[in-house]
Amino acid sequence: MAHRAPRAMSARRTPWLRTLLRSPNGLFGVVVAAIVLLAAALSLVWTPYDPVAVDVPGAWRPPGAEHPLGTDNVGRDMLSVLLVGARVTVVVAIGSAIVAAIVGVLLATLGALTARWVREPVAVLIDILVAFPTLLIAMMLAAAFGASLLVVFIAVGIGFGVNMARVTRPEIRRVAQSDFVLAGRAAGLGPLRNITRHVLPNIAPIVIVQLSWAAAVAVLAEAGLSYLGYGAPSTTLSWGRMLADLQGYIGVHPLTVLWPGLAITITVLGLNLLGDGLRDATDPRLARGDSVTRAALTREPVQL
Amino acid sequence: MIRFVLTRLLLLVAGMIVASALIFFALRVLPGDVAQVVAGSNGTPEQVERIREQLGLDRSILAQYADWIGGLLRGDLGASLVTGTPVARELLEKAQVTVPLTLMSLSIALIVSVPLGILSALRRSRPSGAVIGASAQAVAAVPVVWAGMLLVILFSVTLGWLPPQGFPRAGWAEPLSAFRSLLLPAITIGVVEGAVLLRFVRSAVLEATGQDYVRTAAAIGLTRTRALLTHGLPVAALSVVSVLALQVAALLVGAVVVEQLFGLPGIGRMLVADVGNRDLTKVQGEILVLTGVVLVLGALIDIVHRVVDPRHREQR
Amino acid sequence: MRRPARLVAVVVALASALVLAACTAGGGTDNGAGDGTDASVTVGLVLEPTDLDIRATSGAALDQVLIDNVYEGLVSRTADGEIRPSLATTWDISDDGLSYTFHLADGVRFHSGDPMTVDDVVWSLSQVRDNADVVEHAAFANVTGIEATDESTVTLTLSAPDSNLLWNLSSRAGLVLEEDATNDLSTSANGTGPFTLTGWKQGDSITLDRFDDYWGEPAKVSEVVFAYIPDFTAAIGAVIAGDVDVQTAIDPNLRSQLDGVDDVSVVEGRTTDKFTLAFNNKRAPLDDVRVRKALRLAIDHQAIIDATGGAGVEMGGPIPELDPGYEDLTDTRPFDPDQARALLAEAGHPSLSLTLTMPSFYGSTVSNVLVSQFKDVGVTLTVKNVEFATWLNDVYTNKDYDLSFVDHLEARDFGSWANPDYYFGYDNPEVQRLYAESVAAVDTGVAAEKLKEAARIVAEDHAADWLYNGLTLTAIRDGITGFPTDSPNARLDLSELAVS
Repeated sequence: MAHRAPRAMSARRTPWLRTLLRSPNGLFGVVVAAIVLLAAALSLVWTPYDPVAVDVPGAWRPPGAEHPLGTDNVGRDMLSVLLVGARVTVVVAIGSAIVAAIVGVLLATLGALTARWVREPVAVLIDILVAFPTLLIAMMLAAAFGASLLVVFIAVGIGFGVNMARVTRPEIRRVAQSDFVLAGRAAGLGPLRNITRHVLPNIAPIVIVQLSWAAAVAVLAEAGLSYLGYGAPSTTLSWGRMLADLQGYIGVHPLTVLWPGLAITITVLGLNLLGDGLRDATDPRLARGDSVTRAALTREPVQL
Repeated sequence: MIRFVLTRLLLLVAGMIVASALIFFALRVLPGDVAQVVAGSNGTPEQVERIREQLGLDRSILAQYADWIGGLLRGDLGASLVTGTPVARELLEKAQVTVPLTLMSLSIALIVSVPLGILSALRRSRPSGAVIGASAQAVAAVPVVWAGMLLVILFSVTLGWLPPQGFPRAGWAEPLSAFRSLLLPAITIGVVEGAVLLRFVRSAVLEATGQDYVRTAAAIGLTRTRALLTHGLPVAALSVVSVLALQVAALLVGAVVVEQLFGLPGIGRMLVADVGNRDLTKVQGEILVLTGVVLVLGALIDIVHRVVDPRHREQR
Repeated sequence: MRRPARLVAVVVALASALVLAACTAGGGTDNGAGDGTDASVTVGLVLEPTDLDIRATSGAALDQVLIDNVYEGLVSRTADGEIRPSLATTWDISDDGLSYTFHLADGVRFHSGDPMTVDDVVWSLSQVRDNADVVEHAAFANVTGIEATDESTVTLTLSAPDSNLLWNLSSRAGLVLEEDATNDLSTSANGTGPFTLTGWKQGDSITLDRFDDYWGEPAKVSEVVFAYIPDFTAAIGAVIAGDVDVQTAIDPNLRSQLDGVDDVSVVEGRTTDKFTLAFNNKRAPLDDVRVRKALRLAIDHQAIIDATGGAGVEMGGPIPELDPGYEDLTDTRPFDPDQARALLAEAGHPSLSLTLTMPSFYGSTVSNVLVSQFKDVGVTLTVKNVEFATWLNDVYTNKDYDLSFVDHLEARDFGSWANPDYYFGYDNPEVQRLYAESVAAVDTGVAAEKLKEAARIVAEDHAADWLYNGLTLTAIRDGITGFPTDSPNARLDLSELAVS
């Protein structure tokens, strides 16, 4: 199969956004992301009750007029806690995506554009690192620095970033050997200019799609890691923390875990679909391209 | 061919060496002292120091590393710094819970994802295909912790059919009881992983559908479905199997959350406890074995890939 | 012809009789309590010991299983903290408190089969005194002489009176081990108690069997299995399913799940668990007594107890009810947020930021309540959850913390307040003097009075806040009697355990 000429992004910028919003996946994803962001923003200025204020005699109120989602084990209003928890979700999602982007692109570039004696070992290193489960990274970080959200997004960022590197590296290699880049070199462009002008814009769609999925994995990871005690410290109001705190009571108060769980599920679903939508919208032809690119754009199963 | 296998095995060995070094030195960075944990909150600094000497922790890091590698080459994973029991023995004992759990989860995941994945690929333009796809998306977005809680609420708290926690003390000597204890945990992992895998199965089947050999088979008279089943599926299966190798790491360690939730005395739970105790020898051994399993599986899959389908070549 | 047939019949009859006898004899070790003295009782515990070495490994998990059951000491103690005889049937204390004479019981045997001699006693006690690595070595700091005055008498000579000596002898320091035994202490135990340690399945259970050659009254059950269930919900499940006959440390929040269970009752017991909110007295602004007092006044202690499910009683000072020197000191810290705010303002800290470092296994309920209550008075509390190993390192050893929350569960540990090097950083010469006088007092009444005085000073100095004194809940199946429900996490004397 002949090398498909990479397309420069600029000519199709506006149309992809429209395509995105027109697809059901993309629309759902954008709406969910918007709601979460709005909730987080709103919580900065107003919540129905002070989410930190405990009211022990008023614990375990069922959903009602005063507390639409009821109260938790120390009497905090669950709706308020949920709203504030959205902040953590946003931070974790964006933080992980940033770390994943840095780790992924850096490793992939090292493994694709450098001299042979550098890129071969890096490629092997990437394959080895991929075998390291994210949870182990999180455990060690938490043991070293104490449980925190930083642990979550560094661990997820590294774990997902390495996965991303493994998949992006062959793509960068392909672009690097393409006509555009060779032409650029012939015209006298230095390697750095070549990279920024040709390589980055062409891997950008792949990277952005992957980052959306990275954000989804991060939100899921926060739930699991906070439950195990490596993520959000006990007084951070996060959805994962809510699940962790209420888990012990499911025998007597089963319905309280419904709200944080639903919030997480809907957000992760939205982010996953957003990634799918972005993939279909940026260049549908890429999705049907050669197997290497397709691998980069198939969401590989990653759960924690 | 032989050359490829040899290279791949060499890569495997290199991977294990790098992994062992990474694990060993990364653990030494952790704050907290196992000698202090053993001495407890009543230990005097002198007692702590003496325990450190007994455990050999006062020697240089390189000497300790060399000792560990030497032991590994002899097949000795070392002994717990806290209790002195051999790491291998502990791993084998806890594996009685984690390995069956992983296998059961994998089976459930495959039972869920393969038929439904194929179905959703074949029916992709029909409503049924879309429904399967959408449900899979939704289930794949569920955090495993929450899924477990919901299943417990349904099957234990409300219906009382299955135990909410625990594993029989007699272990597999009471096979029915042990199986019942693992059922909910396995369903928890299996259904969520199955939903995640389903999309992959679907895309692997779709990719196979577009391949030349399937179209050729269709051209010579086989129905599209038959062509797919006889020619496309084996190739799709290969891609799924290669993903599963990566998934083993996720499953083995993802079982940590489930083991914690369901109170199962498995490897994951033991790992969490050992890291908490700073029982470095045990943690090293456990992580190395887990990483080793994944690396070996990866190497095997690569070799099988190469043998079965010589068209799959890594671009370097 | 008939004789061989008859012979065969007799042989068969004998054989069947033997088989039947063997069956019924072996039946007693089955799970599910038999009745009478053949019973096997399964007790659910929380924290498993990491190692069985009674000499080298500290921790209440070992005391729970081994003391009084497998190992015995010169003396033991009752649930109320009173000293009672054990291997020493009687003892005399000289008027100056410098000489203790113990009269040993007869016919005591070790599980190895060897008889206990006075030399074993002297050797065991000498080990504690001479070897700095032995747990509770410090208990014998004043003991200069350990002598066998005759075949059944041991005399301890002290350089200065020690009112804590008998108490310490009822703990690890007084245990008697066999001098000539060679068993590995980490995985086995050879003692004189009513039970032998027959099995340890790590991560799961420890099994004790009745010792038939016990010198005293034999145990009333033939087997005890300690099942370790660290998860509180799993423990409840085990009770409901009948997997355990007794379960300690029932989570008070889950107690209602046992209400409907027919043959199980939940019993409340007292403990010396002091859930302590420690202040780093050496670090500003906590070195200012007004700040410490303000923090205490900001806490609604009853709300904290309610939030944890009600298994606790208020505690105003460092000494719990079960220990000598107890006084209700809750008047030192009424719930008064207004006064708290005033004090903080006066101290120059109308708004303050503090960090609470606590081990993560305590959960989040208490810290959530504290964050809320402190916020009310202008204190922003940041909570740092760490693993216990890290807590030991950062807080306990390096004293690098502002506030810390931990359950100090040892009985009679007021000495920590008289130790300026302890992680509290509390250094009050008056308290130290009173404590030394208490230790030196020969009369236990006088000793208690001095402790009481010292405790009041510590409480009025607001050196820490004692959030609550834990009550413990034990679930017991009907028909089981004699299970100690007070302080079960510190000691579990099962000599009275019986199944009817």
